[in-house]
Amino acid sequence: MRNVLTWRPRPYLKFVLVRLGALVLLAVGITLVSFILTNLIPGDPAAANLGQRALSDPAIVAAFRHQHGLDQPLPVQYGKYLAGLLHGDFGTSQRSNRPVSDELAEYVPATLELAITAVVVSLVVGVGLGILAATRRNSWLDQLLRVVSLAGVSMPTFWLALAAFFVLFYKLGILPGGGRLDPGLDPPPHVTGLYTVDSLLAGQWDIFGNAVFHLIMPALVLAAYTVGLLTRFTRASMLEVLGNDYIRTAHAKGLPGRTIVFRHVLRPALVPILTVAGLAFGSLLSGTVLVEQIFSWNGIGQYAYQSALNLDLPAIMGVSLVVAVIYVTVNFVVDLLYGVVDPRVRLQ
Amino acid sequence: MSLTRRRAIQLALSAGALLATEAACGKTNKGTTDSGGTKNTTLIVENSFDLTTADPGRVYEVTGGMVAHAMYEPLLTFAGGDVSKPVPLLAKSFEASADGKVLTLKLDETAKFSDGSAVTADDVVFSFNRVKNVKGNPSFLLDGVTVTASDPQTVVLTSAKANPALPYLLPTPALGIVNSKVAKAQGAVDAEGADKSDKAEAWFNANSAGSGPYTLQSFSTTTEVVLVANDKYWGTKPVYTKIVVRNVTNSVQKLDVVKDTSQLALDLSPDQAKDLGAAVTVDRASTTTTFFLFTNMNPAISPVTSNPKFQEAVRYGLDYAGIMSLAGEGAVQAPGMVPDKLLGALAAGDSLKRDLDRAKAALAASGYSGQEIPMEYPSDITKNGIDFGVLAQKVQAGLTEVGIKVKLSPAPVATALPNYRDGKEKLGLWLWGADYPDPSDYLAFLPGGLVGLRAGWKAGTSPDLTAIGDQAAIETDATKRASLYQDMQRKLNEVGPFMPLFQSAQISVMAKSVSNFVYNAVWTVDFGALK
Repeated sequence: MRNVLTWRPRPYLKFVLVRLGALVLLAVGITLVSFILTNLIPGDPAAANLGQRALSDPAIVAAFRHQHGLDQPLPVQYGKYLAGLLHGDFGTSQRSNRPVSDELAEYVPATLELAITAVVVSLVVGVGLGILAATRRNSWLDQLLRVVSLAGVSMPTFWLALAAFFVLFYKLGILPGGGRLDPGLDPPPHVTGLYTVDSLLAGQWDIFGNAVFHLIMPALVLAAYTVGLLTRFTRASMLEVLGNDYIRTAHAKGLPGRTIVFRHVLRPALVPILTVAGLAFGSLLSGTVLVEQIFSWNGIGQYAYQSALNLDLPAIMGVSLVVAVIYVTVNFVVDLLYGVVDPRVRLQ
Repeated sequence: MSLTRRRAIQLALSAGALLATEAACGKTNKGTTDSGGTKNTTLIVENSFDLTTADPGRVYEVTGGMVAHAMYEPLLTFAGGDVSKPVPLLAKSFEASADGKVLTLKLDETAKFSDGSAVTADDVVFSFNRVKNVKGNPSFLLDGVTVTASDPQTVVLTSAKANPALPYLLPTPALGIVNSKVAKAQGAVDAEGADKSDKAEAWFNANSAGSGPYTLQSFSTTTEVVLVANDKYWGTKPVYTKIVVRNVTNSVQKLDVVKDTSQLALDLSPDQAKDLGAAVTVDRASTTTTFFLFTNMNPAISPVTSNPKFQEAVRYGLDYAGIMSLAGEGAVQAPGMVPDKLLGALAAGDSLKRDLDRAKAALAASGYSGQEIPMEYPSDITKNGIDFGVLAQKVQAGLTEVGIKVKLSPAPVATALPNYRDGKEKLGLWLWGADYPDPSDYLAFLPGGLVGLRAGWKAGTSPDLTAIGDQAAIETDATKRASLYQDMQRKLNEVGPFMPLFQSAQISVMAKSVSNFVYNAVWTVDFGALK
């Protein structure tokens, strides 16, 4: 039997536990920063949410402040918010009077569906093109991909979204316009909030097809930047590995080119690619604000925008918290994947 | 069984074809007329949302008013776009007392809620008291008004003082009547303290309990609202069985409506509405939203802008023609603060005209020494396609010609409002949308009034003007009322700190399949009337 007193967590497990602890601390830190910043803004939530007439009635303003706890000292407000968080209560939106947790549950799946699709597209296309460019270094294809990837990272997302909308929907009519489904179509029964998944679970193939069609354009627009970024990084990372002696040895052994690329080049090249992919996820989340606005996508991007306009503090904090947790979790997973991809990380 | 590569490709192509077919089949009807001559089911309406709630006791914003109007009918309404004369709806008749303090309304016995139950005076009493006591944005509409039911079909509204504006307030969407039995069962409260005890807003955001031609199917403040026809509607049945109101930016609205993905776009700017082609119909109408500039009257805030000569220089130095070219087709120059659709509006001939010589002479007489004057405005508001930033530049350019140095000071509305509300802006560029279509709403611009104070104009500083306003507020004779409000505005244009600029244009673009559209300044569009 293992002696409890002498047991020490394995380094990898310790690493995981420390990162999880840091995640909790970071989440609390995010709420504090959001709270301070939102209260530093020289604006008044009552002014932002009440009409001009209501704003001139002290009784209505007092009722609004009392309802949302704004009549209490800031430390008390923050303390109550944290206490609520422990019970899963994100507070009540000052704009809509709905629980923020309900609103997040409504909007987050829409953004996740879009972001996950964009991530998959980015990884598959970005890494694929990077491999192609690296293995055909200085060919016309490599030159072309360099231009394309440069365009991907250079084009502003909002411009690309409008241009894609104009060309693919308005001019060519090959993809649908805004929204997650055609107007008038009823969403599938709610299970995950991801229309593609929920429609499959409900066996609604028409809704599934419609949801996929609506996903294509915003996901491609959102992925454009990360595709460009990953193409460039994959190419650079692959070229670095391709110059090693053991690759020359592999060629000398007569291994097929595909085996060399995928087994001996891509795997060691993946570590920097994973780092970039994790960081790019952040830009992808921030890109959803504009993409969702243009494609009428009811995700947290639109929710965050509306909440910021109305100085809706609980909603702003809820969005900040969720985005931060998603971002940190993704990078945490990336850290874990380092160990999977490179055994030396596990040993360290 | 192993899957060969060719077989896998075949399967993938088949799946793609299936998806394409399914997606195409999933498209909805788009308001076209079928072979039987009846309208297909769904009308897609696109709007830039300012939506916060579907609760009729709390609704106040433009999108909310449009949606609530389809579900909750008021006692009185306006016919088409004419907001100058209230006409019966749930109340089949109404009569005001000679002193203007009591308004008696007889309900239509045939009126029914969406559950089939009759609309009674008790429902009216509950609805109105709830609006007052939840202390929401529209509560002010019933300030000083007591509502009672003298019998199941008679409602009596009693005001503390003469309230000739009351019939003009009653058609506003927030005063739509709710089914009190259903609402109470969902936690709605009409008693004092309802601001704390009323728990029905969440229910009203997912359901409806009115007597209008539509009921609520789904509601999202950021995406879309879906209304379905009320199959127990007591009036003329609506033509469309489903209305989908979607939140879409105006640039996308334009593409959608031309492409017939939507059938009604409500937020195009005058420029965007040019050259749309023959596939759509464009309706242009002036709104009751007045853009205006003010100079602060409080010397403690600005000794420069409070100088009457400086105000005169601004008033006659503004490039009204240039500003109107920016406002676009359908907009009208505002001769006074009261919009042209309302009783008491000034005639177009009363509009201020640019007089550069007079402006320069007044500026010289004011002692202005060339210092920069900050002009504050909300940078994140675009109303009827008019961007405040662009408008501010136009105002700045006009005043520069006179010799006034204006420094643009934009800020997001949430941060600009407190300064405006506290009367600290030296120069302010804002808009005022009529809360209800009656000139009494514009008493706010007098000294000591809500907007007057924002311009640093304290009560008692213009007794003549205040006397006219006081008389206009209680005058019950319509002709005399109109005359008093016109006098008030002429005087305002002479001595007041406000320079009315223009009433923006509501541009509504619709598919050819849609007819009977009439813009209404209170609820924008009546879905039940569309054909």
